[in-house]
Amino acid sequence: MANIERIAESVDSLKQHFEEHRYICSDQIATAVYLAFHLRKPILIEGPPGVGKTELAKTTSEMFALPLIRLQCYEGLDEAKAIYEWKYGKQLLYTQVLKEALDEVLAGAKGFAQSVQRLHEFGDIFFSEEFLEPRPLLKALREDDGCVLLIDEIDKADHEFESLLLEILSDFQISIPEIGTVKASKEPPMVFLTSNNTREISDALKRRCLHLYIPFPDVDLEQRIIHARVPEVSEELRRQLVQFIHELRDLDLKKVPAISETIDWARTLLLLHTETLEPQLVKDTLNVILKFQEDIENVESELNSITAKIRKA
Amino acid sequence: MDRTLTNFIRSLRMAEVRISPAETLDAMHTVELVGYKDRTMLKDSLALVLPKTADEKETFNTCFDEFFSFEDVSGERAENAAQDGEASEDGDPAGDGGEGGGSGGERQPGQPAAGNRKKKSKRKKPNNNLLEEEEEDLGPGEMTQPSSELAKLLMTNSKVELTMAMANAGEAVNVRDIQIFTQKGLYARRIMDEMGLADLNQEISNLRESGPVPARRLGQELKRRRDWLREQVRDYVERQFLLNADVSGKKLREELLRTVKLSNVEHRNFRLIQEIVFKMAKKLITMHSRRKKVFKRGMLNVPRTLRHNMSYDGNIFDLHWKSVKIDRPKVFAICDVSGSVANYARFMLMFLYSLDEVMPKVRSFAFSSDLAEVTELFNRNKIEDAIAKVLRDYSGGSTDYGQALLDFKKQCMDDVDNRTTIIILGDARNNYGETHAEVLKEMYDKSKRVIWLNPESRNSWNTGDSEMRKYGAYSHQVDECNSLMHLERVVGNLLRQVS
Repeated sequence: MANIERIAESVDSLKQHFEEHRYICSDQIATAVYLAFHLRKPILIEGPPGVGKTELAKTTSEMFALPLIRLQCYEGLDEAKAIYEWKYGKQLLYTQVLKEALDEVLAGAKGFAQSVQRLHEFGDIFFSEEFLEPRPLLKALREDDGCVLLIDEIDKADHEFESLLLEILSDFQISIPEIGTVKASKEPPMVFLTSNNTREISDALKRRCLHLYIPFPDVDLEQRIIHARVPEVSEELRRQLVQFIHELRDLDLKKVPAISETIDWARTLLLLHTETLEPQLVKDTLNVILKFQEDIENVESELNSITAKIRKA
Repeated sequence: MDRTLTNFIRSLRMAEVRISPAETLDAMHTVELVGYKDRTMLKDSLALVLPKTADEKETFNTCFDEFFSFEDVSGERAENAAQDGEASEDGDPAGDGGEGGGSGGERQPGQPAAGNRKKKSKRKKPNNNLLEEEEEDLGPGEMTQPSSELAKLLMTNSKVELTMAMANAGEAVNVRDIQIFTQKGLYARRIMDEMGLADLNQEISNLRESGPVPARRLGQELKRRRDWLREQVRDYVERQFLLNADVSGKKLREELLRTVKLSNVEHRNFRLIQEIVFKMAKKLITMHSRRKKVFKRGMLNVPRTLRHNMSYDGNIFDLHWKSVKIDRPKVFAICDVSGSVANYARFMLMFLYSLDEVMPKVRSFAFSSDLAEVTELFNRNKIEDAIAKVLRDYSGGSTDYGQALLDFKKQCMDDVDNRTTIIILGDARNNYGETHAEVLKEMYDKSKRVIWLNPESRNSWNTGDSEMRKYGAYSHQVDECNSLMHLERVVGNLLRQVS
């Protein structure tokens, strides 16, 4: 714990530690984590796909040496999958096995009312902790030393699920009808929510979170990211390929390449032992960075002018 | 200090960033944590807490830069003034202030300052004659105590308190209500008066005419500081104008555009209209998206429950309830895109397709003489491009409602069922052709609702070649629709009826 506080004592220290874990971040991102830690608030991260939203949560858990609990959202996700479920099979099995024991308990009981009375004396055994299957959200609350909870792609879940999250996000607690309210242990989890903006997140949810928008990085930052992730790439090639990607982002494409694609491409070029961006080579490896045939065709026609421009720069 | 923050949030709200009280509290906690010292840090932090979409972040950035720039400048000025006060060498900074004050539009207090400056500069040329007598003579040394409130405040040299006093005075004269730039001088004057300018002026002139040197020295010093203050007030009013009036000017324009006839909208306002349309659409979406699913709980769905609990040996663990899901509206929009109605069609299509989150099943048709389905165009292109294409391809030819209705019957009468809402936008001016109202009757019988929107005002319906009476008979609802307000009401009703 002391360690975490030391890391999170200032924005600069956070930034430095992120870099040690090969996650190069801007001031805004580091500030977000800083505030999230000190204000105990969840962060809602938005931005185009592939800019490192999920990676931020992963790196944070690595950096703080906390377990990462991840909840992947999808349409139809409900509380049975997100919070808890009863172990039906186990309940059933136990009633079968314990049938005789039950008979003993009930032995000598006269009439229905008396039997039920006897059963009541044993309490709600079958709806107790032992028969509870905790799902990610409940698990996160029960981590004693705190954890990083990643709720990924919240925009894919239904509206109703968002409302379900409100309690855990603002008070770090969950109400289970049969057991009562489960409150977070000493250390509440650090919560990261990511969204690809396929739909508007409700105001109620946004209100409870810090809102971090991660855009595509500028040339300088992206070069540093490539340097951290694929250090083997030579400086000249790194400059060229990042420049190339930035040129592509200005074009009218169906899906512009993100950071993750830049990294993949850098690895590809490394594998092919390239030193400079040759038009022919770029043409052959375009499918690494562009994911639509239409885009590839569009770019191919302008390939020569782009590569020439980059090599001149 | 919290006041600064709430003022900032107020100006954000003016710029249409939605901030709830809870977020204000968050912002205060944030400020407690990071403090006001580091500007970029403060900006980054508040950017996380207050704006909650990418658009809002941009607005936030400009607002922040505008709002917090003032503090820096005034800090410098205060320092300068303090230094000048100590050096007490040349009267030029004060003179500058006087000039500014004069041009700021406050005649009475401004004139003496300006006049004085003229005198000074005149006398400066002949070897600082009288000036020396007036200023240098007194030199640094003792001053008498100021008597009026404002003078005391000025002499304490406390920037914070002065700013507070200024803000209070501004509050008292409602400077936030400032609307147009010509009011700037007026408000600056009012604020100065509120802060006690009259007393100060009286004191200064008394002091300057009095005999003892310390008193005159104080008079000089007070005059300099008064001029400095005037400049500050002017800056303050300017800032308030930028923060409050600029945006409310836009608001005013938006209000106007909402009610203006769509055919009269000038081309340069299209962008703004489009923004308004999206904003309205968003409001409707948030109002209605929650109601998409209404579950009627309390009725056990026995077959489903039994089926799901088979694996538990018939023991009923997992209960299933009957639920009713209400369908989203299925909308057919038929738009007349001939010259006279084209503009209305443009905005209606824009509106309908902005709503695709709550109304995914919009099919649209365009006609002037022949009718064609344009749904595909909208699916493939951006809304604006699609509209431009529709207007280009289909707007030629003379209007023929009869033919359009026949075409509709041929193409998709089979798809019309009792959940369909058909919206027809047109002026029903049929060039005296065959109306084919019987087709509309068929649509009327088969569909859930037929809504006819006519951009003409009710008075001109049924005049000339308008066939509104015939068509109106076979519509569930007939409405005049020629402004964004009307459009919003119609679509809002549409959404309400289905959910």
